[in-house]
Amino acid sequence: MSTEQTELNASNRVAPPLAGAEPLLAIQDLKVHFDLAGRGNRVVKAVDGVTIDIYPGETLGLVGESGCGKSTLGRAILRLTEPTSGQVLYRNRDLAHLSRREMREHRRHLQIIFQDPYASLNPRMSVGQIVGEPLETFKLARGREADERVQELLETVGLSKRFIKRYPHEFSGGQRQRIGIARALAVDPDFIVADEPISALDVSIQAQIMNLLEKLQREKHLTYLFISHDLRAIRHVSDRVAVMYLGKLVEVADAKTIYADPLMPYTKALISAVPVPDPKVEATRQRIVLEGDVPSPINPPQGCRFHTRCPYVIEACKQVVPPLVEIKANHFAACIRISPHQPDIEKVAPGQAPGLAAAEEAIA
Amino acid sequence: MNTNGTLLEVKDLRTYFNTEDGEVKAVDGISFQLKRGETLGIVGESGSGKSVTNLSLIRLIPNPPGRIVSGEVLFDGVDILALKEDDVRKIRGRRIAMIFQDPMTSLNPFMKISRQLMEITQLHLGHTRHQAYDHAIKMLETVGIPDASTRANNYPHEFSGGMRQRVMIAMALSCEPELLIADEPTTALDVTIQAQILELIKTLKQATGSSVILITHDLGVVAGMTDHLLVMYAGKIFEQASTAELFAFPGNPYTRGLLHSVPDPLAEQGELYQIPGLPPDVAHLPPGCPFAPRCQRAEEICKREFPPFVQLTADHHSLCHFAGEVYEESKAEARP
Repeated sequence: MSTEQTELNASNRVAPPLAGAEPLLAIQDLKVHFDLAGRGNRVVKAVDGVTIDIYPGETLGLVGESGCGKSTLGRAILRLTEPTSGQVLYRNRDLAHLSRREMREHRRHLQIIFQDPYASLNPRMSVGQIVGEPLETFKLARGREADERVQELLETVGLSKRFIKRYPHEFSGGQRQRIGIARALAVDPDFIVADEPISALDVSIQAQIMNLLEKLQREKHLTYLFISHDLRAIRHVSDRVAVMYLGKLVEVADAKTIYADPLMPYTKALISAVPVPDPKVEATRQRIVLEGDVPSPINPPQGCRFHTRCPYVIEACKQVVPPLVEIKANHFAACIRISPHQPDIEKVAPGQAPGLAAAEEAIA
Repeated sequence: MNTNGTLLEVKDLRTYFNTEDGEVKAVDGISFQLKRGETLGIVGESGSGKSVTNLSLIRLIPNPPGRIVSGEVLFDGVDILALKEDDVRKIRGRRIAMIFQDPMTSLNPFMKISRQLMEITQLHLGHTRHQAYDHAIKMLETVGIPDASTRANNYPHEFSGGMRQRVMIAMALSCEPELLIADEPTTALDVTIQAQILELIKTLKQATGSSVILITHDLGVVAGMTDHLLVMYAGKIFEQASTAELFAFPGNPYTRGLLHSVPDPLAEQGELYQIPGLPPDVAHLPPGCPFAPRCQRAEEICKREFPPFVQLTADHHSLCHFAGEVYEESKAEARP
């Protein structure tokens, strides 16, 4: 066990939820940097070295605050934003280095649902055209067959086939999100990036869309990257959760564990900040209120990027970039103040950094 | 000052809008009270009338297309709806202040923060420029803006979303209002910043003794912040109770559905309860109960007759033909 664990640590890989399963997507050291025009060599490091595997049939929740790079990561996987470096392995091909034409072929298997159902549907196209367009693009069906397929897709997402000739403005937010889902499903994908799919919707409609996505996952064996800032939604839909802060993953674990037992101080604060819909719980729980704002991703802080807001910061945190280390079985965290032998930051002596050696090794 | 401690009493308020679709009864006959020092939460989905209620209280309904058709808004015993516009202006911003969802659109982008704060106390408290400036800096410090005297010279775009909301709170509290109305104050903010802002509102409320009306769609936010709750749907109050009572024993099927459809991070996963159907089209409400088309326990009477506002306990009311039964079910469920 211990040798196996060291190996994992050394390669800095996030272990499978099911031993032996092959990942559907293997993301390796992915970076997306944006050069800012104008003065100086200013670079926004939106995604800065993300390594994670996504397994068939799972929902990986990706959570973080605005500007942390979570949407850019989702878009970079699909090459909707060009990665600066790194790999995205899918069916033994590196998506990050395919030609545009090859990538277009692969998009059939990799789809996306957007946050704003108002902005992501062409207002001049009917529902039938919107959902049917991918069938035409990928030459999957035409004529009567395509029409039947569109009707079937609308029913799958809970819309009446009578809507086929209507236009987006005639629908509510929740219905438009269903249209977006039908369009993504048209090409029978393996993998869907759901980028804040419920954030613009009313509470009662959010539940409907989450249930729909879960039903479709069961029926069609879909794999999701579910991106959201809403920790309650993430907890509900995800099998595993990855927490992102200023371009880097800082903690990865299964959804239940990350809520019950967060290890890294940022995750602890994030989870304690979520209001619980229960006045009895709210009256008694301790909330970690972080000081200050998220720093700018232009020239982010040196060392651990969270050190400017961290209540547990020590000098070494300002120098050393903490790697994502398997602190407990299948539970990864990036913090030099904890280690597999000392997972509880509260119990670490002041000024101590039990994870420092591993961090320095990883850098070396 | 009123002797019974009631700061605000709203009686049968109705605000309608003329639209291409016909007359929309955005707020349709709502009544409630707010005591001094208390926090009242108003919860509802889009189109429920919660924000129109808020704007009606301070007479900020654009006319046309909107108009307050009837009702009384007794603020410290005086009916705001019967006052002259000049007299309303003396109350608005001074005795009743507001914070809105989007601080960027509520601040003037061409004015330095200091001037925006100074305007308020110069107008309402008759401060000189000098007094107003000192007061502005003090308020910015109170709401936790670091290095306030430098930051006061910045423009709104130089602040982050959380900092702008702090500026809005500083402006709102400048004249120590008796009532603060916060309409979705944290909806546009990240969760760690939301925690900061809610904590700040709580602390300042305790320090000043102001009453607060907190309008939100987030049941988690009201759970920790409010004493009483109104649940609105289709322009009506569907349920009204103390926060603890309403969460523990909801007496309305809509409230029950809403509470069940929020994922609880502390509970096990599983299929989420979902309220079927779509939020109501307020321009075309069905006869009978507006929630009936989405209600799983609706019976014939619900589609035919408008439901009564049933009193369940001294301060717990529910708009439902079956309020008593729903309330008993909630109690039975809570008694495992």
